[in-house]
Amino acid sequence: RAIHKSAVEAPEDTVTASFGKFISEIKPQHLSPVVLHRSKRMVLDSIGVGLIGSTTDVFELALQHCQNMYAPGDSSSVYGHRGIRLSPILAAFVNGVATHSMDFDDTWHPATHPSGAVLPAVLALSDMMPANNKPSGLDFLLAFNVGIEIQGRLLRFSNEAHNIPKRFHPPSVVGTMGSAAACARLLSLDPIQSSHALAIAASLAGAPMANAATQSKPLHIGNASRLGLEAALLASRGLEASPLVLDAVAGVAGFSAFYEDYVPQPLQSPGNDSHMFLLEEQDIGFKRFPAHLGMHWVADAAASVHKILVGVGPGTVSPAQVEDILLRVPKSKYINRPFPESEHEARHSFQFNACTVLLDGEVTVQSFTPAAMNRPDLHALLSRVRLEHPNDNPANFNRMYGEVQLTLVGGDTVKGRCNTFYGHWRNPLSNDSLRKKFRSNAEVVLPSEKVERLIEVVEDLDQLRDCRNLLSQLQ
Amino acid sequence: MSFILILMCLQLFTSRERSSVWGQSDIILPPHYAAFVNGIAVHSMDFDDTWHPATHPSGAVLPALLALAETLPSQPSGLDLLLAFNVGIEVQGRLMRFSKEAYNIPERFHPPSVVGVMGSAAASAKLLGLSPEQCIHALAIAASSAGAPLANAATQTKPLHIGNAARGGLEAARLAQIGLKGNPAILDLDRGLGVYYKDYSPSAMADSAVRAYKWILEDQDVAFKRIPAHLGMHWVVDAALAAREKLQNAVGKFDLSQIRHVTLRVPPSKYVNCPLPATEHQARHSFQFNACTALLDNKVTVASFGDAQIGRSALKELLGKVSLETPEDNLPSFDKMYCEVEIATHQGPSYTARCDTFYGHWRKPLTLKHLVDKFRVNASSVLCTVGVEGVIDVIGNIERVADCSILGSYLRMTSNQEHLDRMRIL
Repeated sequence: RAIHKSAVEAPEDTVTASFGKFISEIKPQHLSPVVLHRSKRMVLDSIGVGLIGSTTDVFELALQHCQNMYAPGDSSSVYGHRGIRLSPILAAFVNGVATHSMDFDDTWHPATHPSGAVLPAVLALSDMMPANNKPSGLDFLLAFNVGIEIQGRLLRFSNEAHNIPKRFHPPSVVGTMGSAAACARLLSLDPIQSSHALAIAASLAGAPMANAATQSKPLHIGNASRLGLEAALLASRGLEASPLVLDAVAGVAGFSAFYEDYVPQPLQSPGNDSHMFLLEEQDIGFKRFPAHLGMHWVADAAASVHKILVGVGPGTVSPAQVEDILLRVPKSKYINRPFPESEHEARHSFQFNACTVLLDGEVTVQSFTPAAMNRPDLHALLSRVRLEHPNDNPANFNRMYGEVQLTLVGGDTVKGRCNTFYGHWRNPLSNDSLRKKFRSNAEVVLPSEKVERLIEVVEDLDQLRDCRNLLSQLQ
Repeated sequence: MSFILILMCLQLFTSRERSSVWGQSDIILPPHYAAFVNGIAVHSMDFDDTWHPATHPSGAVLPALLALAETLPSQPSGLDLLLAFNVGIEVQGRLMRFSKEAYNIPERFHPPSVVGVMGSAAASAKLLGLSPEQCIHALAIAASSAGAPLANAATQTKPLHIGNAARGGLEAARLAQIGLKGNPAILDLDRGLGVYYKDYSPSAMADSAVRAYKWILEDQDVAFKRIPAHLGMHWVVDAALAAREKLQNAVGKFDLSQIRHVTLRVPPSKYVNCPLPATEHQARHSFQFNACTALLDNKVTVASFGDAQIGRSALKELLGKVSLETPEDNLPSFDKMYCEVEIATHQGPSYTARCDTFYGHWRKPLTLKHLVDKFRVNASSVLCTVGVEGVIDVIGNIERVADCSILGSYLRMTSNQEHLDRMRIL
């Protein structure tokens, strides 16, 4: 149809329409330098964790599934796997799974993992576009930032979203919406189509927390990415959904279905001069090791204990010395695991991460291998751990702290506390540290020339005329 | 490193699995997408079955099963298929009984998107012959695909809820088959399936190893629709037709100009209260539209929802005379609701009729003849007579069918001339 007139016009003053308008009308010049900088860091980190994540079991399973189940499309790259190309939707899926497979990807406040839901979809879609019409680096970066911004805006619609989640896994709720928004932007959908993309995506959102800390959790991000892309593609073909999906309508839940308290606000239409992206006010946390964000507090607290006990040189804490290990942490059921049995559980265990640091001085990618997990010394320490949940330690990534108190045989105690771990948005990773993490991840699957090239390309992404230079380095 | 080698081998595989798209002779799709499009088709006109507690059980399950069956190396028997189907229905019924919220017309999540995907996963797992542990994980994986908000009901996206339920469940079972795991307590936890309900109180299923298993379907039948519209519309249509007849009998003839005002007494449900629908989807979810169409045409059929019909000025004029009341005793539950239509005339008298149980409801089920009639009318829109009668025959005798792939063949026998020519040559 050359001209499409939607039969269902949203009244202009709804929250939903305001979002559709924002997505459709925001322009590259609205990206401030701070936002450009921060978002490029996110792109780099996300690709890195995706590359290393493509070596995991769960990734292999997802890839096998796609190759067995689906028609072979050949447009879009798969992280770290030269020669394997999939249809855009499936590429978004497996790359999303890879990104979250080790829980190594970025975290925001209010809590979600924003980049993994968006970047794979934007990459896949860019791959899909014809060679003579590839997005520029700036278009790419704009679409990415739209996907992040929408997630941030939606998270601010409820108080519930500000705390560590209990019901729905946030990436499965806002991540899908972010992916749809980013893809709508990249596809240059008009305001109404953009609204419908969000509404269609809402019907694909929402996974229960129960599957966090299981092998299925990475699929939440994979699904968010691919389903958001699907929603945008369906909207571009003219599929229509509720024009009030983001608005609060008594008696008929839309996006509000996912929250107990829900107070939506319209998005300001991007004026001629500027739009204040949330990323400018609230930076991202990047992880230093592949585990749930909460683990980073106890790890840093345990590291100071470790340092005191063994001095600066390499050494370890022997279980024989230890009488008791007390962790003062927020109350959150799904990261309280005294004896984790799988790598997924270990990444979600205050106890495991604290004890690993007491033994090794740090948590690394290798800490979650079966060999490391099965160490008798580790088990001995784990059996000496108990948890306390002080009232002043809320389950909130902006306000929590971690404290480790070791009681030695003989009665001495050594205490460590961390209020803000290195990598948190209040104490961001330096560019050097971020690059170091990227190199360490990417070198597992890519030759170092490609690794360095990727760093350069992302650094100059907003200057890139054609994002193919980025796309060609990923495998 | 063996992981890398496996991947290299996988590159050589292209998925050759293809399943039928119902009513298409030439198009076949990967099973996942066949389940998706066929599921959408089933719910596209809101013409599919409805159960109590409320959901549309079959559309989420059957497309997945048929698509899956076509890909299996050895074709399941009709009885295998029927058993898997019933597993999918039963699981949905059991899950809905875990909360009181499920018994009323929904307000938050569209039920097929919650229990439908679980049913599809269960049915697919059954057909695949998965172990009990794998079945658990199929359910857990499926739960992460559940839950679409009600706001998209009464829109063009609603049919995708059923399509997505079918494909999501199939996918979950396939993932479980190759070893993916989720939370094995998914049905027990408030933060598992419980996230979709305000009150959630799960209970274990009876041991099916005992000789006689009591299926929910035995105690609680489904409703089949006579009209391609939301179930609630069936009450208001039957009441409107009866009130119209009363008017006609009293006055001798029925004339629109006699009508001063129409009052509808219905249960409170926002998403089917639509005074002036603009699209077919809205029209299928509008007490007002369905009542007025019944008054105007003395029937409501598939054709009533075309754009031209929706746009009729006589209809719009009549819609302007309608008001809704929601009496306190009219509960938003498909088991308890009623509809009353009161026509007030210019001449003075009012004519009122009430429907407590429409024909097709589980309390007053369609006869087999009427069910088959409905099937023939629907199927003949795309299949040739051989295909139509073939499907009727296979399903009628499904317990005796050795190889259910015959069903797929009939579903591809379209009524276009080319296909008939080809068949004659054979």
